[in-house]
Amino acid sequence: MRTDRSGTLGRGNDGTASDLRRIVCINEEIKTIVAIAFRINLMALNAIFLAKRAGQAALGFGVLSNELRGFAVALGDNMNELRRMTFSSVVAVTAMVKRARLERILECTDRQSDGKAQALLATRRRGCDADDMKRIQRELQQRLDDTARLIELGAILARSAKIEAAYGGTFSAPLTQVSTEFDSIIGLTLRSIDSLRKQHLTRKET
Amino acid sequence: MKQAQTFFSDGEHKWLSIVRDPDKPNYLIDTNEYMVSYGGEGLLCDPGGQEVFPPVFSALTAEFDPGRIAGIFASHQDPDIVSSLGLWLEFNPHLRCYISWLWTSFIPHFGGTAETFVAIPDGGMEIGLNGLTLEVIPAHYLHSSGNHQLYDRKAKVLFSGDVGAGLLPADESDLFVKDFDRHIGHIEAFHRRWMGSEKAKRDWCERVAKLDIDMLCPQHGAIYAGSDVMRFINWFDELEIGILRS
Repeated sequence: MRTDRSGTLGRGNDGTASDLRRIVCINEEIKTIVAIAFRINLMALNAIFLAKRAGQAALGFGVLSNELRGFAVALGDNMNELRRMTFSSVVAVTAMVKRARLERILECTDRQSDGKAQALLATRRRGCDADDMKRIQRELQQRLDDTARLIELGAILARSAKIEAAYGGTFSAPLTQVSTEFDSIIGLTLRSIDSLRKQHLTRKET
Repeated sequence: MKQAQTFFSDGEHKWLSIVRDPDKPNYLIDTNEYMVSYGGEGLLCDPGGQEVFPPVFSALTAEFDPGRIAGIFASHQDPDIVSSLGLWLEFNPHLRCYISWLWTSFIPHFGGTAETFVAIPDGGMEIGLNGLTLEVIPAHYLHSSGNHQLYDRKAKVLFSGDVGAGLLPADESDLFVKDFDRHIGHIEAFHRRWMGSEKAKRDWCERVAKLDIDMLCPQHGAIYAGSDVMRFINWFDELEIGILRS
């Protein structure tokens, strides 16, 4: 623990600032994925209509488009949950900063009162905020892993849609185009979730 | 959880509000936080108390990169206005905080150093935000003895601090005032008790009535828009204030 030039304290500006910056980065990725999920939802809706027009030849494509729509909704829900978790992280970081500030004041009081504030210091439950933070980190990791698995499923659905598009008869070309777009857009979410997991791992290592 | 809402948008010029926290403990006063952004840079107005830092930071982050906040404007010195300053400085130690010169040696109790503060003179000043000029309007004794508001001439938005503020019932969560006559019932007692100077009030009403304002945004309660802005100024002008009466 240290006091810096600005009089702010606790884990120090660097630790707190990097925690908060990491949360900001996670939120930026969440925003990206939410926008993509919205786009997948719309694309899937269009694909369902296209499959209906294509008729019997695109039955499988229609089923997969429905599944992709469900995938987009689940992805959006996962992002909302992640956002809730990042909020918990901000709460925990704030509590750590406040606790550290209080401890610094108590330590200073203790020095100036020849150890008479020792009892006050002893009552501080050191480490409980850090425990909270670890729990939130574990939950966040779990949610990121779940989301990565969900996106892998989305990628499989998109690849299957590509195969089904080949059997789309006269509608094969537009169905292939739509399924290729699904594939590339889900690839974007994969990159975003990888980036999130990397940021999270960096936090755990530090 | 609090959510950020954009209530003015013109290209790269935006005003965001972060209002009503349904999860806030009842013992804490509810507050509105605002941010004006221009060309990707933001100025946070009355960022709130340290207890509301987590929901405010999280809500803002969902809409805007807080790393692009250039400064904080504090209308006055109250804890619900700016006691979160130390936490914002943990995130970015280089933030500048604009506040009345009267409070620049008081506010460091919440955090910051001499380099943090930009002292606003009594007559107000201009704040540049990435090419946008914001005007600091004096509103002393309304209610604080060193009190300012922020006027965005381009957006026609006045951030009015505690002027126009009201504590609304839990079921009234609209961002804008919907029924002015009903709304007055929620703000009258507050203005009578907290606004202490008749002379200052008159002076403020005369000056602000000359400004072109589409939205008057208080630090508590709902935003006045359109004709309700002038209705509020006229109502306030006639209100008897500085008296101990509910």
